[in-house]
Amino acid sequence: MKKNRGRDIGKRAQEEMVGFALIVIFVAIILLFLVVFYLRGQDREGIESYEINSFIQSFLHYNTDCEDYFGGVEVRKLIFKCDDGIQCLDGRNSCDVLEETLKEITRESWPFGPERPIKGYELKIITNNKEILGLYEGNQTNNFRGAMQDFTIAPDSVEVSFRAYYD
Amino acid sequence: MVRKMKNKKAQMKIQQMAFMLIAVTLFFVFAGLFFAMIVFSDIRKAAEGLEERNALLLVSKLANSPEFACGNAFGSFKTSCIDADKAMALKNNIELYKDLKGNFWGVDGVEIKKIYPTDYAEIECDSGNYPECGKITIFQKQGIGVSNFVALCRKEGSGGFIEDKCELAKIIVYYGGDNN
Repeated sequence: MKKNRGRDIGKRAQEEMVGFALIVIFVAIILLFLVVFYLRGQDREGIESYEINSFIQSFLHYNTDCEDYFGGVEVRKLIFKCDDGIQCLDGRNSCDVLEETLKEITRESWPFGPERPIKGYELKIITNNKEILGLYEGNQTNNFRGAMQDFTIAPDSVEVSFRAYYD
Repeated sequence: MVRKMKNKKAQMKIQQMAFMLIAVTLFFVFAGLFFAMIVFSDIRKAAEGLEERNALLLVSKLANSPEFACGNAFGSFKTSCIDADKAMALKNNIELYKDLKGNFWGVDGVEIKKIYPTDYAEIECDSGNYPECGKITIFQKQGIGVSNFVALCRKEGSGGFIEDKCELAKIIVYYGGDNN
């Protein structure tokens, strides 16, 4: 009888040990998942990039083939023409020219693909809180660099932002 | 019998201690890992940012120097803008310029490469083919190249009047070459 009681206590203690070990392992796994999710969430904030800032500044000066009476219109001015619905001298829609030009510029400047470090990009132009152009190419990863530039020709304000997504 | 019971008890105690040790070790390992990952991810970000910033500052300094910068020549004042006509004049007189100022910028090579439009992208510019070309090598390149985007602007005559023509380019600065 005494022998049986001793064996029961021993068994119960062993079970408790196993239970404790399982809890420790369970908590450790949860902690690990939390760490991974926390760090992934941090990466999503991205890094402000000087290179992208220069890219935006430079393409805003680019003279497109949409002509007015002074010659090829700069991208910066074409954004306002697009917003106001003004056409080019040859009758083309200024928004179409803007989209086509920026598509080609970004494709040449930020080549992307599975074998390249850049996996995709997005370019957004917002005037007076309304998106007039959005170019989205490739995959959007958690690791990205970006920059934003805003400027005003009263009363309109424009916000140009670009993000490059990396491996 | 008593000895057997004592042995079992001792075994249990050892097991208990082993579990505790594993648990405590695991806890410290994860806590350390968590801390290290946060610290190193911040350091990595800061290092990447600083490296990029330093390299691009060097390029920007050069692009905005009077020898290259557009200044007010194309309407309003433009930053990140290179006057292609100035760059061509500098390229053609670089030996004279080197004699006067030595390696004024302290770099081992400067090149301007047109990104868009892509016509003539691989053709080196000289006084014969300019502006129908895509590369202006100011002086020979060696070492590590750092690049940044710029607007490459020039004056172009068409239909009896002169208009500004800006294209997208990259200025590539080489530094850290052996023959410095």
